[in-house]
Amino acid sequence: MRSLLIPALLTFASLAAAAGAVHQHKSDDRGVWVEIAQAPASTRSWKNPYEGRADGIAAGRKLFLQHCAECHGDEATGKHAPNLRSPGVQNATPGELAWLLRNGNLTHRMPPWAGIPDQRRWQIVAYLKSLGAAESKPVSESE
Amino acid sequence: MSAHMPLAKSHQPRPPALLRAALLALSCVSALLAICPNAAAQETPYFVAYSHHLEEPDNLEVEAYSIYGTQKGGPDFIAPWIEFEYGVTAWWTTEVYIDTQHTFGGLDRTVFTGTRFENRFRPLMHEHWINPVLYVEFENTTDADKTLKEVVGLDTQFDAAEPNSEANRHHTHELETKLILSSDYKGWNFSENFIGEKNLGHEAWEFGYALGVSRPLRLEATPQHCNFCRENFVLGAEMYGGLGTAKAFSLSGTSHYVAPIAAWQLPSGVTFSISPGFGLNDNSHRFLLRWGMSYEISGFGRKLRSMF
Repeated sequence: MRSLLIPALLTFASLAAAAGAVHQHKSDDRGVWVEIAQAPASTRSWKNPYEGRADGIAAGRKLFLQHCAECHGDEATGKHAPNLRSPGVQNATPGELAWLLRNGNLTHRMPPWAGIPDQRRWQIVAYLKSLGAAESKPVSESE
Repeated sequence: MSAHMPLAKSHQPRPPALLRAALLALSCVSALLAICPNAAAQETPYFVAYSHHLEEPDNLEVEAYSIYGTQKGGPDFIAPWIEFEYGVTAWWTTEVYIDTQHTFGGLDRTVFTGTRFENRFRPLMHEHWINPVLYVEFENTTDADKTLKEVVGLDTQFDAAEPNSEANRHHTHELETKLILSSDYKGWNFSENFIGEKNLGHEAWEFGYALGVSRPLRLEATPQHCNFCRENFVLGAEMYGGLGTAKAFSLSGTSHYVAPIAAWQLPSGVTFSISPGFGLNDNSHRFLLRWGMSYEISGFGRKLRSMF
């Protein structure tokens, strides 16, 4: 049992710190807007190769449900994380959204999705832009 | 024969205890799977190398891996381990390992070899051409640990030839650090790890390396839900080995391996991986086979917090 003591203590300390970290970073729509504003100006001219393509949008929806819906909701109106159909997001250019997806927003618990290929991130952006604006659902208190 | 009897008796309770622990772990995991939704992760398929992609916040990945190795001057072995990998934040992932080992023949053939506790941190908030991650791990294992999660110092296959009955008595407490450098380019991932390990029992620093490259078979996703389409398969390769110690920094006198990898990442959140590894010199195990399965549980931390 002694051999398990140190790992158990370290795990407990980690979880305690994690709980603190969670409460320091409540997500809200402003976090997304602030991060989009940080996108380099050059991203605004990036073209989405899947824009308006039905197959790209359908693939984007599939990817969205796999990777994003748990936090942003099945309809992207926000669940534990911001509404992606808010005007701030929908008025962003495809390039800005692609940049945000690649880089994430680490201080607001949005992971970077650089680990999936560029093509799939563009498919997700095509799907998001196809949704149009909608009112947000309240952000969960646990976040 | 009679001299062995007390030893054999003292180990009789072990299999039932191990079985009970395994059943308990299986029950806990099953309960978690039943209450938590799954998610597809974006992790690279490496067994030894690490990329800069961390676990998504609040997600828990449960991973069961094994390695089979041939052994010169001793019986072959199989070393299964379980990992629990949790995304604390978007820039911090923590992980616990439980290591076991079975050697074909000899006394104490199946042994629990220890635990490891690791943390990975991303110091930079945005993606760059090369993305660093800092890795710190505390290892509380015995010399019988054969998971070969890293090769450092002057590690050779002959270290693993010691019988379990002897090796499992020697406990080691080690601090392992890694500088992980990783890049994504046109669907490819390139990862380079520089390893520094310190036995806390006054031994010199030992060094090692791990390199990885991987790519999905298809970069864009298909509109249909599918399990067998090319986008779900990732191929790659790893190379890893020792770099000597602080007193003798060298590529010689240690072991090196190269290992192709294949992974099948199902949309349900389950990933199957396999990797045959080949020793590159006489100090290396001639053949290693790694395989495993992982399952991503989405929002695990959030659901856990909501229970209290």
